[in-house]
Amino acid sequence: MNFELSEEQKMIQQSVERFVQENYDLPKRVEISSKDPGYNKDYWGSMAELGWLGLPFNEEDGGFGGNQIDTLVIMEQFGKGLVLEPFLANVVLGGGAIQMGGSEELKREILPSLIEGTKQVTLAYAEQQSRFDLEDVATSARQEGDKYIINGQKSMVLNAESADHLVVVTRTSGGQVDEEGITLFLVDSNTKGLEKQNFPTVDGLRASEITLENVEVNTERMIGDIDNGFEILKAVSNNGILALCAEAVGAMEILYKDTVEYTQQREQFDHPLSDFQVLQHRMVDMFMEYEQCKSLLFRATMETIQDPKMAQKTIHALKHLIGKSGIFVGENAVQLHGGMGVTEELRIGHFFKRLLVIDSQFGNADFHLDKFTDF
Amino acid sequence: MDIELSSEDLAFRDEVRAFFEENKIKEGEDYFSWRLGWFKKAREKGGWDVPKWPAKFGGPGWTPTQHYIWEQETARATIPFDLPFGLGMLAPILMSYGSKEQQERFMPDIRDRKVNWCQGYSEPGAGSDLANLKTKAVLSDDGSYYTVNGSKIWTTLAHVADWIFCLTRTDDSGIKQQGITFLLFPMKQEGIEVKPIITLGGSHTVNTVHFTDVKVPVENRIGEEGKGWTYAKGLLEHERTGLAGLSKSLVEVEQLKENARSVQRGNGTLMDDSSYKSKVAELEIDLMATEYTELRSLANAAAGEELGPESSILKLKGTEIKQRIQKLTVEASGIYSSAWGDGGIGFPFAKGGTGGYLNSRYFTIYGGASEVQKDVIAKKVLGLTKGSKK
Repeated sequence: MNFELSEEQKMIQQSVERFVQENYDLPKRVEISSKDPGYNKDYWGSMAELGWLGLPFNEEDGGFGGNQIDTLVIMEQFGKGLVLEPFLANVVLGGGAIQMGGSEELKREILPSLIEGTKQVTLAYAEQQSRFDLEDVATSARQEGDKYIINGQKSMVLNAESADHLVVVTRTSGGQVDEEGITLFLVDSNTKGLEKQNFPTVDGLRASEITLENVEVNTERMIGDIDNGFEILKAVSNNGILALCAEAVGAMEILYKDTVEYTQQREQFDHPLSDFQVLQHRMVDMFMEYEQCKSLLFRATMETIQDPKMAQKTIHALKHLIGKSGIFVGENAVQLHGGMGVTEELRIGHFFKRLLVIDSQFGNADFHLDKFTDF
Repeated sequence: MDIELSSEDLAFRDEVRAFFEENKIKEGEDYFSWRLGWFKKAREKGGWDVPKWPAKFGGPGWTPTQHYIWEQETARATIPFDLPFGLGMLAPILMSYGSKEQQERFMPDIRDRKVNWCQGYSEPGAGSDLANLKTKAVLSDDGSYYTVNGSKIWTTLAHVADWIFCLTRTDDSGIKQQGITFLLFPMKQEGIEVKPIITLGGSHTVNTVHFTDVKVPVENRIGEEGKGWTYAKGLLEHERTGLAGLSKSLVEVEQLKENARSVQRGNGTLMDDSSYKSKVAELEIDLMATEYTELRSLANAAAGEELGPESSILKLKGTEIKQRIQKLTVEASGIYSSAWGDGGIGFPFAKGGTGGYLNSRYFTIYGGASEVQKDVIAKKVLGLTKGSKK
């Protein structure tokens, strides 16, 4: 048993931490978020140069052969600054799917330019009716010669606005909620019949509703085998959960620490707020939730590396706890900051919003609690 | 004990319902002229335009049961918006502590909804510790006016208010509850600067207000100099009860269930989802209990008892309930809860849902934070003060 990071991982951690400290104070984040494309292209370029975008990819595809721990290290630090650059959408989701199921040609075409930061990919999986069920896919792909014709709609697609390619989850056979019969395709953003409706999300990021009307895609653009896309989708979703939860742990650390600091400064009834035992205990609870989340994050990440199938139950446990505890920590950080906590002026509200959004992605606390009980 | 409404009460309820029904806004009707017309007709009913005012000042003089019925019916009906600051907060202070001249000068315009008021209580350093005020008012040598300097924060709708009622410090030699003076003055004048505060839900309702050498004639002072805290304090307990907003929550819970029923899950809806429906059920149970806690406190009031620290229970429970309704709306929106603004993404009810939830965090902070309400109950109801060991 060893919880120590390797020397290389420690160096990455320090370098990401420094990047966040230097580039992500609140005014800067608000400014970047409010302008198109919703992140800073120079930052994205730096991330590519520093090798962060290639970290979890195989060496033969231009990556550095890292694993989920490397992603954890980066995402936890990103969580401390609410970094806007589309690392999750590209590296973990879109790129992750291609790495897992793409043909050699497809990997060679897409991954190097993704790692260099010149092309972007995202994952379009959710639909209006699907809520959190990955297997609920109505968007159809029908074979016609050497092509497939895609029709349907995809919801809450992260970073689609900037993506050059979308990994689209489609149904090629079976019923709407069958795990079998799901197939993934790589679709170019500018393909005829693909429409994006872009909008900001609660946490200052961007997402899109996508409609696909008779969108043609070549059979070579299939990711994985026909009708067997669910396994890839599930694995990508699990990695997405691990990455989001690492980000959440970083955000929770900021929230509890900011609250401890604020209550020592703010005086009410002739005492600093931190003198009041009821508030001390609340902050102890926030701190304990943070530590517990971090423990379960480590557990789920290490179990996934060891055996993804065995880790499934722990991943459900993790996403449940992060959802519940994240909102607990966020709500109480706001409560203990008083009126100021409910304003856009302090950073805690922004961290709280991010935790709220994280709970709504890849299944909320209730959803994963329910899944957990299936084991 | 008896919970049945008397035949008089039932007749009153029908009359209220009929009035609301008859005076609904008609299609194509201008909202603002309808609103003023509505209040005029309500006035003709015998003071229904100012339901909470006592008969002596032109109100209807209802029994607590009638007030309860009115509350219940207004939550369900289409009635014009109203702001509480003049009608519900300042007017009772004018009635109890204002001079005859002040009552005649200010109350008619409040009643006619002609003048918008805002409340200048909280300050950057005075949150739940409200008496810790720093805004200074200095009386001129000839005793004819005060000069006000300082800042207020969380001033709701200060940006549209015509006048402010304001707690100021005229003396800081004694304990902080002493030396506070209650002043009224117009907002649209030199030396007053209003700055918006944008809340997490993305909306602008509260502000900071800065005063620089604002002159206030001494005839705009309520009661005596230095007694302002006594005047304001009684009202705060009433404000707490009002903040519970139970009748509105009852309607919102029904809406919440309807929303959840519109979300398809497999062969059923979200209301068939066991964890979601248990949370809604727990919410309803708490609401049912809190409704009767409110009724019991109304009954005490009817028996002539003072509204006491029990109002803290209502504020605590009522605001928690409101927050839980908002949270469950966010959960019902599922993946769409993260869409921001009015872009019409996802379910119709998802629009503004997350913004509403974020802003609702304020409910357990304003009007005395929950932690302070619990202190009030601990000290004043349970007698748990330092040295209370028996």
